[in-house]
Amino acid sequence: MNRSVLFPCVALLVVCGFPLVVHGEELRDSIDHQLAAAWKANGIEPAKPSSDGEFLRRVHLDLLGTIPTHDEAVAFLDDTRADKRKLLIDRLLNDPRFAEHQGEVWDMVLFGRNPPGYGTDKRDEFQAWLRDQFAKNTPYDQWVKAILRAEGNTIDNGAPMYFVQYRNEPEEATQAVTQTFLGVQLQCARCHDHPFEPWTQLDFYGTAAFFARLRVVDIGKKNKLTMYAIGERNTGDVLFTGPTAEQVVGKKGEPVKPKFLQGEPLVEPELSADFKEDRNFPNGKVPPSPKFSRKNQLADWIARPGNPYFARAVANRIWAQFMGRGIVHPVDNMSRSNTPSHPELLDQLARNMVDHKFDLKWYIRELVNSRAYQLSGSGPVEAAMPQWFEQARTRPLSAEELLDAWKVAIGWDGIEKSSGKKASEDRYSPLGSGYLVQFLGRPNNGVGDFQGGLHEHLFLNNGGIGSLLSQSKGGLHHSLLNSKAPWTERVDQLYLAMLSRRPVKDEQERFVEFLSAEENSSGRLQEAIWVLMTCSEFRFNH
Amino acid sequence: MPDLKPTNAKQVWKLQFEGAWPTSVAFLGPRRVVAGNRDGEMFVWDLPDQSSVKPAEDKAASKTKSAAKGKQDEGENIAPVRRLDGHTNGISRLVSTEDGKLLVSASQDHTVRIWESAAPPSGKADVVLDRASREKETKQLPQDKRQAFIDAPGVSVATQDAAAVLKGHDDWVNALGISRNGQRLISGDARSKVVVWDLPARKEVANWVGHAWNGIVAAGLAPDGQTALVSEFTYKRDDFDIPAPALKVWNVADATEKLDILKVHIPKLDAKASTYGAASVWRSFIKGGLIATDYSPDGTLVAVGQGGETDTGKVHLFDVKTGKLVRTVSGHQYGVCDVKFSVDGKYVLSSGRDTVLRICQVSDGKEVAALGKARGGQFKDWLSGIAISPDQSMIAAADIAGYVHVWQLQG
Amino acid sequence: MTTTPRPEAQRPAIGHLSRRALLKGTVATASGGALMNWGSLFNSASAAEGVQKQQKRCILLWMNGGVSQFETFDMKPGRPTGGQFRPVSTNLPGIQVCELLPKISQNMDKLAVIRSMRTSQVDHPGGIHLMHTGYSTAANIRFPEIGAVVSKYLGRERSDLPNFIKIFSHGNSGAGFLGPKYLPFSLSPEGRLPTFSTSNRNSELESRRNGLRNFVEDVFAREHKAETARMHREAYEAARRLQNVHQVFNIDDEWEKNRDLYGDSAFGRRCLLARRLIEEGVPFVEVGQSSYDSHADNFVWHRSLLPPMEHAWVGLMTDLEQRGLLKNTLIVWMGEIGRTPRINNRSGRDHYVRSWSTALAGCGVKGGLVYGASDKDGIDVKDNAVTEGDFFATIYQALGIDPKTEHFTGVRPIPIAPFGSEVVKDILA
Repeated sequence: MNRSVLFPCVALLVVCGFPLVVHGEELRDSIDHQLAAAWKANGIEPAKPSSDGEFLRRVHLDLLGTIPTHDEAVAFLDDTRADKRKLLIDRLLNDPRFAEHQGEVWDMVLFGRNPPGYGTDKRDEFQAWLRDQFAKNTPYDQWVKAILRAEGNTIDNGAPMYFVQYRNEPEEATQAVTQTFLGVQLQCARCHDHPFEPWTQLDFYGTAAFFARLRVVDIGKKNKLTMYAIGERNTGDVLFTGPTAEQVVGKKGEPVKPKFLQGEPLVEPELSADFKEDRNFPNGKVPPSPKFSRKNQLADWIARPGNPYFARAVANRIWAQFMGRGIVHPVDNMSRSNTPSHPELLDQLARNMVDHKFDLKWYIRELVNSRAYQLSGSGPVEAAMPQWFEQARTRPLSAEELLDAWKVAIGWDGIEKSSGKKASEDRYSPLGSGYLVQFLGRPNNGVGDFQGGLHEHLFLNNGGIGSLLSQSKGGLHHSLLNSKAPWTERVDQLYLAMLSRRPVKDEQERFVEFLSAEENSSGRLQEAIWVLMTCSEFRFNH
Repeated sequence: MPDLKPTNAKQVWKLQFEGAWPTSVAFLGPRRVVAGNRDGEMFVWDLPDQSSVKPAEDKAASKTKSAAKGKQDEGENIAPVRRLDGHTNGISRLVSTEDGKLLVSASQDHTVRIWESAAPPSGKADVVLDRASREKETKQLPQDKRQAFIDAPGVSVATQDAAAVLKGHDDWVNALGISRNGQRLISGDARSKVVVWDLPARKEVANWVGHAWNGIVAAGLAPDGQTALVSEFTYKRDDFDIPAPALKVWNVADATEKLDILKVHIPKLDAKASTYGAASVWRSFIKGGLIATDYSPDGTLVAVGQGGETDTGKVHLFDVKTGKLVRTVSGHQYGVCDVKFSVDGKYVLSSGRDTVLRICQVSDGKEVAALGKARGGQFKDWLSGIAISPDQSMIAAADIAGYVHVWQLQG
Repeated sequence: MTTTPRPEAQRPAIGHLSRRALLKGTVATASGGALMNWGSLFNSASAAEGVQKQQKRCILLWMNGGVSQFETFDMKPGRPTGGQFRPVSTNLPGIQVCELLPKISQNMDKLAVIRSMRTSQVDHPGGIHLMHTGYSTAANIRFPEIGAVVSKYLGRERSDLPNFIKIFSHGNSGAGFLGPKYLPFSLSPEGRLPTFSTSNRNSELESRRNGLRNFVEDVFAREHKAETARMHREAYEAARRLQNVHQVFNIDDEWEKNRDLYGDSAFGRRCLLARRLIEEGVPFVEVGQSSYDSHADNFVWHRSLLPPMEHAWVGLMTDLEQRGLLKNTLIVWMGEIGRTPRINNRSGRDHYVRSWSTALAGCGVKGGLVYGASDKDGIDVKDNAVTEGDFFATIYQALGIDPKTEHFTGVRPIPIAPFGSEVVKDILA
C-alpha cells in the first residue's frame, strides 16, 4: 500500500480562491496579508517578530553584505524611536556598500564561480559597471538591456563582458540568457523537444539564432588588458539537424530563423542580392554595426514590460534572495511542472515590478520592511528555507560576506591603519581568494542549499583564518586585551562587535570565567574570538 | 614537377565508399587512389585522365542516383577496380612510395600490411558501395521492390591480398610514416610501442616504447629515414591522471632520443607528472593530442596537427633541428584529422572535423584555399585523411560520410 | 526486518536522545516536535543493530559520465552498433567481453554481470542522482545516497573514521534527509586528505577551545532549529574526530608492494586505499573514475580509460579475496547511464538507458553469471529487464539491509529501494 495517499504532503496545498490583493495598499502590507492568508489556510503558526539584534545583523548582511560595527550595533539597540527599523533600512539602502554588495550578488548570478574563460575571470570593469547601476538605481530592464545589447567595449563600458564568456557558443548563450533573465530552462530542448514543457527544439534554436552572428572581437589593449567588443555579422545562421539522437553522418543542417520564445518569428529586412560580407572582423578594429541587429531585437524583446517571463523572473529571484526560497523554487526553473507556492502574490510582485518601472531599490525596500522578512529565525522549523515563509530563513553567508563580516568583527580596518601600510587592493585580503573560495565559496544566490561538510571546519579549525586572529594594534583583540574595563564589560564589547548583540547572562558568565582564568589572557582571548568567528550564529544569516 | 596551384581547385571526383567511415586515402602514382575505412575495407580506383569521361550506364559505379551524382561541382562517381583484402579492423593510416609501386596500411587489427601496385589479382568479387544510399532511396519504391533494390548486385572488382603482413604490434596501430626515399617505415601503436621497418626487406630495424599509459598517435620519418618524429598522447584517461604527452625526434639507428620538442617549447613540462594541474601546462599547445604529422620534403620542418575534439585545431610547424616553433597555421573547428606537406614543400595541407581541407603557405602561414564545405549541425563531419598526387595535380580527401573527394588543381 | 511506520506526532524527538539510548530501543518521553527531513533513526535503529553484526561492506566503483556497455560487457561484434573493439573469450564458456578487459575476462567467475539494465534518467545530473540513490529527483525530498544509507545501517557509531568515504567524489546528493551524520567524506582524486586536515594545536589547548565553542553552539541551538545549523555543528564534531586517524589514509607504505597487483594508475591507488579503509571497518567506500562521457571519440577514450580501471578492479577483488574479505564485501561497478548503440558523427556514443550493463561481485553475489540480455544490436532489453529500483533492492539485499525498510520525511514513508522494486534473486547465492 502506498501510504503517501494516507498522509498527503501539506506542501502540496496551495492558496487559492478569494482575492487577496487590496488596492492602494503598499506592497509590504500586501505581502504580509497574503502570506498570513496562506498560513491560515494551512494551519501554520508563524514565528514571533525578530529581536532588534537579530534584525540588525540580518538586514545589514542582506543589504550590505557585512555586519554592523560595534558602535553601530550599540547605537541601533539603544535607539528608542518606534520607526528605527524603517530608518535603518533607508540608511542602508543609501550606503555605498549596498551597491557594492548587490553588484557582487548579481555578478555571481551572471558569471558564476567559474566563468568559461576568455579573460572573464578578471572583469573589474564589468563589476564596476554593475555596481554603478545599483548606485544609480538604474531600472533593471535598462541595465539588462545594456548587457544584452553589449555596446562599446569591455574596458570602457564593462557590459559587453557578459557575452565574452559565450564566445562562439550561441547555444550556451541561449541557455544562460533564458535561464537568468527569463527564469526558464531550455537546455533539454537543445537535443530534443521537451517532454513535459512547451519548449521545442525550434524554440531553442530560434533563440540561438539571435546569437549566432555574434563575434567577440579583440580591439586592442588598455591598461594591459585586452579590450573586447561584441561584433555582429550580417549573415550566418544556426544550423539545425533535428533531434541530436537522429543526427547522422553526412546530414546537412537547416538554417533556423530567429524566433521569439513561444512567439513570432523575427521579421528581418532582406539583404540586397549583391551584398558581400568581409570574411572576418579584423583584430584591433571596432567592428561595424550590422545593417540589422538581431541581438538588439532580442534585447528589446526580453526586457520589455510586456514580456511574460521577464518581470516574474526578477521579482521571484529577488524575493528568494531576501526571503529564502523563491515563490517558484528553484528560481530559474519557472515551468508548468514547478508551480508557485503563492501564485497570486507572484502575479502581484511581477505586476508591481512593471508598474514601478523595475525599480529594484523600491522593491527591496518593500521586501525588507515587510513583517514577514522581519520574523524571527528562531523557532521549531527545521527547514532552512521554510516553505510558507513562516520563519526567517537560515542562509549560509557567501565566502565574501563571511570575509567582510569577519573583518568588521575583528577590526581589520583598525589593524591596517595602525600598521601604516597601504590597505591591500585585493578584495580577498588578507585570506586570499584561493582557499576561501574553495572551502566556503558557494555563491550566495539566495537559493543554494547548504550541505555542511567536514572541509570547511578543517579549514577553520586548522589555520585557514589565522591571519584574522591578529593581536596587532587597532584590532579587537588588542583593544580588549589592553582595556582596563572589567571583563563583564569587555565580554559585552566582544559580543556586540562579533554578533551585533549583547550576551545573555550565562554567556556573559561563561566568557568572563574563560577569559579571566589566567594572568595573561592573550591566548584565551584569541580562542574566544575564534569561537565566535566559527560558530553557527556567525556562519549563517538567520 | 609543376608547382602546386592551390587556388581554383575544382572537385572532379566524388567516389562513393559507403559503409563504415573512410579513414584514410593515398595516391599510388598520379591517377590511382586507394582508400581505407573503419571496418578495414580498402578499395582502389583508377581515375580516368579526363574528368568529363562519363561512365557508360551499364558500368555505372552506383545503382543509386542522388547520392552518387550530387551537384555538378561536386564531381562524379566511378567504380573502384580493386578491393584489398586482409585487414580485420579499421584502417588508421595509408602511405605509399613516391614511385607508386608500394602501398602500406596500418590497422587497428594490430598489423601493418604492404601491398604491391602491380600484383596480380587474387580473384573477383561483387561489391556494393552505396548501401546506405540504396536504403534511403528504397523509401520511394513500392514495398515489394525494396528488398530487391537493396540486394541488387553492385560492381565487380578484382581482389588482391597483401604482399606482406608486418607483425610487431599488440594493439591498434595508429601511426604510420614513410621516408621519402622509400627505404624506411615507421609504425606506432596504442600501447606506445614504435617500430621502424626496413621497407624493401620488410624487417624490423628498431623499436622503442614511450610512456606506458600513452599511445603513439602520430609518427613520421625524415626523408633519409635516419631520424623519426613521434607523438605520444592519451585521451582523458582520467581527469586527474593524464601523463604528459610527448613530441620527440629520435635517432632510428640506436633508438635514442635526439630532441624533446615539447620541452623546447614548454620548459615547464614535466614528463612524469600526471595530474590535471600538470596538464594545464601543455593543454593549450597540444589540445586533444598532436595526432597527425608530416616532414617537409627537404627534411627541415615538421608539421603537427592538434586533434581530438577541441575548439580550434591548428597546425604547428617546427624546425626539426632546434625544435623551435616556426609558426602555427591553419585552424579547423573541432580539431585536425590529417596533415601533409605539398610535394614542393611550399604548402601545408590539413583536413579536420569541420569538413574542410585547408591549404596554407609555409612561408607566411596564410591560408590560400579552403576546400569543402562545413556540413551538419553543431558538429560537422570529418575529412579524416588527405593525399596529394605525386605530380601535385590532384588532392584527395576521405570523408566520413562515405566518400573520397578528389580535387583537380588547375593552373 | 521491516519496521512499523508511525505518524509523525507519535514519534519522539531524537535531538536530545543519546544515540546509545536509541540503539537500545529506549523511548524517551515524546515532545512531539516536527522532524522534517530528518529520517527516522528510531524506527530503523533495531534494524541497524542486527545488520551491523554481519560486518558487511560495500565498495562502489563509479564510472562517471557513463561507461559504454558495448566497449565492456555487451559486445555486438559484426553489427553496425559494434564499434571498433573485438571480443575476447573469458573463463566462462560461451561468454565474451571486450578485448579491453583482458584481466576481467579471466575473472568472470567472480562477477555477476547484468546486461539488461533499463533505467529512467538519461542525463548526467539526473542519472548520477538516480544511480546514487535509486530515486529520481523530487522537488521536496532530498534522497540519501546509497553510501549514506549503508553507513547508517552498517556504520559504527562515533568511529573516528567517517562511515561514508568517497575517493574522487561524484554526485552531490550526500546524506539527503538522513541528516549530516551520514554525509560523505570526500578525498581528492589522489586519495589525499583535504588541505587543513591536520591540527597544529596541542590537545590541551584544542580541548579548551572546543569546550567554549560547544557552549556557544548549545546556546544557539536552544532557539534555532534550522537543519543547516545542526549540519554545521555535526560536521565540526566529525572534523575533530578525524584528527586521530590520519595515518590510515597514507598508503605509501603499502603501495610499492601492491603496485603490480592494482596497476600503476591513480585509479589503482584509489582502489588500494578503498581496500584499506574497508579493512579498517569503513562500511562504504566509493571510488570514482571520471571522463566516460564519450560523446566524441568514444573508442579512444575507452581505450585510455578501461585498461587501468580493469587492472585495479581485478587487483581489488584478488586482494579482498586473499584477505578473506570478498565474501563480506560487495563490489558494485556502474556508471550513471549507458551509451547509445548508434555511433554519431563525432565517433562518439551518446546517453542511453534503454539497455545497458552493470556488474556486481562478492558478498553473496553469484559469480560466473551473466544476467539478462539485450537484442542483437543492443537497442533494447531482450530478457529480464532490471530497473534502477530492482538493482538497488538487490544491492541492499546482498548487504543484508531489507530494501523495504522505510524512512520518513515528514509523514511520508520512503522505502530504501523505491516502492515496487524487486530483488533480482537469481543474482544472489
